[in-house]
Amino acid sequence: MIGIIAAIGVTLLMALSLTRLFAGPTLYDRALVATSGAMKGALICAALAVAARRADWIDVSFALAFGAFVLNVAIFKFFRLRSFQAPLVREGER
Amino acid sequence: MDVIGFVLTFVGGLFIVLGLIVMATGALGVLRFPDFYTRAHATSAGDIPGGVLVIVGLAIASGDGGIALRLLLLAALFVALGPTLAHLSAGAAHSAGLAPLSGPYTAPRPGARRESTPS
Repeated sequence: MIGIIAAIGVTLLMALSLTRLFAGPTLYDRALVATSGAMKGALICAALAVAARRADWIDVSFALAFGAFVLNVAIFKFFRLRSFQAPLVREGER
Repeated sequence: MDVIGFVLTFVGGLFIVLGLIVMATGALGVLRFPDFYTRAHATSAGDIPGGVLVIVGLAIASGDGGIALRLLLLAALFVALGPTLAHLSAGAAHSAGLAPLSGPYTAPRPGARRESTPS
């Protein structure tokens, strides 16, 4: 009962902040909202685990939180370097 | 009449409601703030502590020791990852040349722009 209330509340807040995903003027806003949406997904999974009384689903929520972190690192590394490939020439040379 | 269970559920529900209020403040900040850096602060200062409060409330209200221990580990993970994500995203945006909204204390780097994709 209380897990379902928490899950519905967090889902409503995630839907509220998803408007920034579509209306954000820069790409960084969209990456920020994507990461925070994935963390809220981990929170929803933990709330459903309490509602269903299964301890295994909390491990799923761990995986979602770690995946959100790695996703954020990869997105911002791509924004900084403009490609995923390692540069063939070092910075000061050429 | 299970008094301990009722008290645990009540205290857990209190924490969850408090956490949802803090997360609502963070979501409102993400919608209403004018700049990327302010929105990153709203996310890391509103979503993450609110999420930690919700997880602690769920751990109190669950009544099962195994679930409560794993939820406290998840709360520790949120505490560790939240400031790291905020530092990372703001640092990446700054080094890629995103200019903040100018005010009396900010000086954008030479070559900084307000949009993310170079035109």
